Amino acid sequence: MAPSPQRRIDVAGLVIALLLLALAGLVWWDMTKLQILSPYDLGPKVMPIVVSIGLTLLAIGNAVGALRGDLPARDSLDWKPIALILGGLACLIILIAIGGGFMIGTALLFATTSAAFGRRAFPTDLLIGAVIAVFIYVLFAKLLTLSLPAGPLERLF
Amino acid sequence: MSQVRKGLWRSALAAAAVAGFVTSAAAQMELKIMAPAAPGGGWDQTARSMQQALTQSGIAKSVQVTNVPGAGGSIGIAQLVNNSKGDGNQLMVMGYVMVGALLTNKSPVTLDQTTPIARLTTEYEAIVVPANSPIKNAKDLAAAIKADPAKVTWAGGSAGGVDHIAAALFAKAAGADPTKINYIPFSGGGEALAAILGGKVTAGISGYGEFESQVKAGKLRLIGLTSAAKTANVDVPSIKEQGIDLEIANWRAVVAPPGISADQKKALTDAMDKLAQSKEWQEILKAKGWENAYVSGDAFAKILANEQALTKEVLTAVGLVKS
Amino acid sequence: MEAFASLADGLAVAIQPMNMLFALIGVLLGTAVGVLPGIGPALTVALLLPITFKLDPGGSIIMFAGIYYGGMYGGSTTAILINTPGESASMATALEGNRMAKAGRGGPALATAAIGSFVAGTIATLGLTFLAPYLVDIAVSFGPEDYFALMCVAFVTVSATFGDSPVRGLTSLFIGLLLGLVGIDILSGQSRLSFGIPELYDNIEVTTLAVGLFAVGEALYVASRRHVHEEKLEAVRGSLWMTKEDWKRSWKPWLRGTAFGFPIGALPAGGAEIPTFLSYSTEKRLTKHPEEFGHGAIEGVAGPEAANNAAAAGTLVPLLTLGLPTSATAAMMLAGFQQYGLNPGPLLFADQPKLVWGLIASLFIANAMLLVLNLPLVGLWVRLLKIPQPWLYAGILVFATMGTIAANPSPVELVMLTVFGVLGFLMRRFDFPIAPVVVGLILGPIAESQLRRALSISLGDPMVLLQSPISATLLGIAVIALVLPFFLKGLGRFKAVED
Repeated sequence: MAPSPQRRIDVAGLVIALLLLALAGLVWWDMTKLQILSPYDLGPKVMPIVVSIGLTLLAIGNAVGALRGDLPARDSLDWKPIALILGGLACLIILIAIGGGFMIGTALLFATTSAAFGRRAFPTDLLIGAVIAVFIYVLFAKLLTLSLPAGPLERLF
Repeated sequence: MSQVRKGLWRSALAAAAVAGFVTSAAAQMELKIMAPAAPGGGWDQTARSMQQALTQSGIAKSVQVTNVPGAGGSIGIAQLVNNSKGDGNQLMVMGYVMVGALLTNKSPVTLDQTTPIARLTTEYEAIVVPANSPIKNAKDLAAAIKADPAKVTWAGGSAGGVDHIAAALFAKAAGADPTKINYIPFSGGGEALAAILGGKVTAGISGYGEFESQVKAGKLRLIGLTSAAKTANVDVPSIKEQGIDLEIANWRAVVAPPGISADQKKALTDAMDKLAQSKEWQEILKAKGWENAYVSGDAFAKILANEQALTKEVLTAVGLVKS
Repeated sequence: MEAFASLADGLAVAIQPMNMLFALIGVLLGTAVGVLPGIGPALTVALLLPITFKLDPGGSIIMFAGIYYGGMYGGSTTAILINTPGESASMATALEGNRMAKAGRGGPALATAAIGSFVAGTIATLGLTFLAPYLVDIAVSFGPEDYFALMCVAFVTVSATFGDSPVRGLTSLFIGLLLGLVGIDILSGQSRLSFGIPELYDNIEVTTLAVGLFAVGEALYVASRRHVHEEKLEAVRGSLWMTKEDWKRSWKPWLRGTAFGFPIGALPAGGAEIPTFLSYSTEKRLTKHPEEFGHGAIEGVAGPEAANNAAAAGTLVPLLTLGLPTSATAAMMLAGFQQYGLNPGPLLFADQPKLVWGLIASLFIANAMLLVLNLPLVGLWVRLLKIPQPWLYAGILVFATMGTIAANPSPVELVMLTVFGVLGFLMRRFDFPIAPVVVGLILGPIAESQLRRALSISLGDPMVLLQSPISATLLGIAVIALVLPFFLKGLGRFKAVED
């Protein structure tokens, strides 16, 4: 039977299958470095072996699905909002990592996410984000005595 | 007589003046205490109790507690050594568990890089068996483990932790091969306790506090504590007194970052000395059931070095650390 | 009955104005922190311990009970409204609850959660009052092999969260199992899949994964399709309250959820997550509206929510009768008891009857208080969905990251949250079910460690799994649950041929 025109090979599906295979290999490689220490314990290797074999079989299953082209239909993708949100998250992570505190990062994350959902008022949103961040800081640090990552702004309080 | 009284007055005044001066100098102290664990655990409770006692007694002006959880303290100590070098106001709570965790986690940072300040509290390990167990005392348990270490199952905390080390040392002292012990780690005290109460394992090992109420209620039999001599709160002689040469304690202490000056070290040590004597701290110890084991300065540094060597030896023997 | 008289005495203690006030503060605080992902009741009780040091023991322990129950409520509110489970036990609630909210049925979803929690909490607290001494004997007799068998039952039933394709469902589950491997293996002390990163040694936090997959993943997905598929949120469609039909569809799941939650919660290693999954799967199998599952079926909210709260009460059984802390919150409450020199344990009921019964009585009161507080709030909560979409999602992300940082102020934890967010996005795009990932992360490590413990104790003899009556029964149930659907399908086909 000739393949019907709708049933084309799904490249993304094949990539998923390959990724699963790579994960299976990673789990297996990691497993080989473990030792069995207790003579009575089944050992830390059994579960990784099960997971690795399972992932391998599922990689095959997903590959078959991709070759038959029976993955669900997908909409076209708009990369801009994704980049905005992930960019906001990255800013927050970097600011915390270098000791810039979480307030600036949180304000940025709020504004970029808001922009990702189509708002065009970046400075206003930045301000709203900052107000929320100050509120959270006061709530956590003063009321619950939790230490949030502090930077220059947080030290003002 | 009036001479004597005058003399007394004078020295009392001088003492008060010194005390007053010292308090006011120390009251400038703005301490930061890091608990290398999530809020709620033992180290965190120690840090927050210290905060409470230090501020209430006026030893420090302010104390800020931060939590750096992860990997048995490996992440906290890395941060202390790398980011707080030379900071004379920073302390970190740590304990015996960290000694083992740093070794098993192959931490690039070691305790040798920190500045030891003082040991605060200690808790002895207790070995218990279910109430209906044929094992009555430490000798029985030692005999059973010597006969067949596989058949004696131990329930305790995580692999490589103080419970595990104590069980291995018990086997060694009993004349059995410590690598052959059938030690079963449980996550969290409740789960291990349930396994012992349910008679699923031969013996349980953990801090005495975990078992105290069960022992008092007669559901578990206390084989002994790992102290040198019998302690006041139990009726059973210590394991060492029963002829098994085992002594180990799970202590908690504070260390400071590397690179602090001698003066800074002295100021921190003095603050801890005063904390240990304060009424507030004594009250907390009583309320929490923590045993005072205060040792500061070089004496503590020596204990720390000894414990590191011993722990490394045991963990190497059971295969968790490669020599 | 003796218990009745004691309970009446306890009510007399709990109903004192000061204690009522403590209970009220407790439920308010509990709800507030339960709402925040990452900050749960355990953390709150821990942080409040030093503050309450000066209060009288009765009052502060009653407050802790309020925090505990309040936390369970708060977690489900965010799960339903913004797909951000505040606690791992609220995950199952998010599955159907958030679909309902998006379809304008947030009101009934919140109501069935609140009333279900009340019903379950009350029944379970009654169970705690009258059955605790008997239940605890069974709970303690559960050995590692029995837990393993229970996990087998759970694994078989999670297929209900798989969606249409078994291959894709299993793929999700195995990704969860893989994530469950990360960190130090409790039984051997060796780290797996950690690549020398110390932050990974402590295993992956369930809330980080759930919030990443659910909240962050959803935000990315919705944002990426905005140009083709504008998400229209309707705060209210139809009735804000539960209709007669909703009540009819809710009451049985409430009771079944309680039946799962209370006993499993009482097990020392049972937890609150497993009963919520079992309840979800059961409701999905039993429902007369299977087509609604995945699009907002009220049974899928009512059951797990009841199970969640019943499990919370169940946890108190081993705590009060044996002094066994079987959850993080219970461990903190134990610390609270000890702070006043009280040792929960076999003697607590005998030594401190006034306190224990006061606590149990205040659980009833906290429960009623939560219902009274939460039902009027439903209208207000639902209006939250009317916030303009950009701000709503921006708020969700700020919320998700804050909860994560507050619990563990490390950039690595945020990186994980982001990675899980991307994973959640990709899985949505390629139509892989999300829930099995979290299920795998929770169940995998428990199943593995309990099996290994059982085999260590039996010195490697696998027969131990069949020799224990509890384990044998549970394994039997698992096999039946696995085979029955195929059998029924076969029978159905057979019948079809007959016709």
